[in-house]
Amino acid sequence: MIWAAIIMSGLATFLMRFLPLSLLAGWQMPASWRRALNFVPASILAAIIAPAVLMPEGSLMLADNLRLPAAIVAAAIALRFGSVLATLLGGLGFIWLFGLL
Amino acid sequence: MPARNSQKTSSRAREFGIGILDELPLQIGVFPFGLVFGIAGLAAGLTPLQVCALSCILFGGASQIVFAQMVGAGAPFAVVTGSVAAINLRHLLYGVAIVDYLRHLPLSWRIVLGYLLTDEAWAISMRRFRSQPASPVMHYHLLGAGLTLWVCWQVSTLAGVLLGATIPDELQLGFAVPLTFIALIVPAIKRRAESLAALSAGAAALLLQDLPFNLWLIASALIGIGVGIMTSRFDQPEQDR
Repeated sequence: MIWAAIIMSGLATFLMRFLPLSLLAGWQMPASWRRALNFVPASILAAIIAPAVLMPEGSLMLADNLRLPAAIVAAAIALRFGSVLATLLGGLGFIWLFGLL
Repeated sequence: MPARNSQKTSSRAREFGIGILDELPLQIGVFPFGLVFGIAGLAAGLTPLQVCALSCILFGGASQIVFAQMVGAGAPFAVVTGSVAAINLRHLLYGVAIVDYLRHLPLSWRIVLGYLLTDEAWAISMRRFRSQPASPVMHYHLLGAGLTLWVCWQVSTLAGVLLGATIPDELQLGFAVPLTFIALIVPAIKRRAESLAALSAGAAALLLQDLPFNLWLIASALIGIGVGIMTSRFDQPEQDR
């Protein structure tokens, strides 16, 4: 049964990745759609980031939560340098420095 | 025409290589995520084979964590599958956004690139596609980025299964996930409407956590997109792309 869940989940996920590439291949997107799709990365990634930073244990934690300052440091690095490498090293470095010491 | 052929081969290889190089730094975030999933999968009672099979068949980090957590909590399998589907609904939007660049490809290519279409590969290749003039070999960038992530994901899952609970919680490896997305999104936000979209999607994600079937992710994303559309009229026209 657990294998059935694995395969069904995998199939559903593959179809959601593949169907737009298949069904929409011959479709010309209206310009208004294209403008709306410009907001997809910012919206989805922010919706993943916010709970992962602010709710590390399932409920809102604004104090005593090292992820918050570490995320701010990482965002500042990303904004200033635009480098993926520097952002990841800065964020992980911050949380290790202040979390492990 | 050997000369022309080799030229085309080299531009394919170049695009493929740039895809790998663009994707590589992100693996600093992906690898710990794979470790975390490997550990979480075993902790939820999955067998090592099932954990690795999830990484191959499902190949979607956030949804794999949800799968493991829900199986561990004894949820019915239909509910587990529904939650995985809800978390992964966002890929429909990724596909709609990227199909413009892939529509000329044969079916076999679209199957492979569809399978490899993850958050990180999609985001990094969309950046490339938008910033470069259209070329008939640009999809090799997504292939390079997607395969890089795929290999790293399989290896890190396996490492998590093998190392298991010997990795201390204090390392905060789970934090690598939001960090990866911060690295992707912060430099990409150029307009006021985009930052408003991100802020409202983030706030919605905090408020909607309790929606059934993990629908909070797609609901928050749609709210962000809606706010972006509504506020884009306040952006300066010359900032509009």
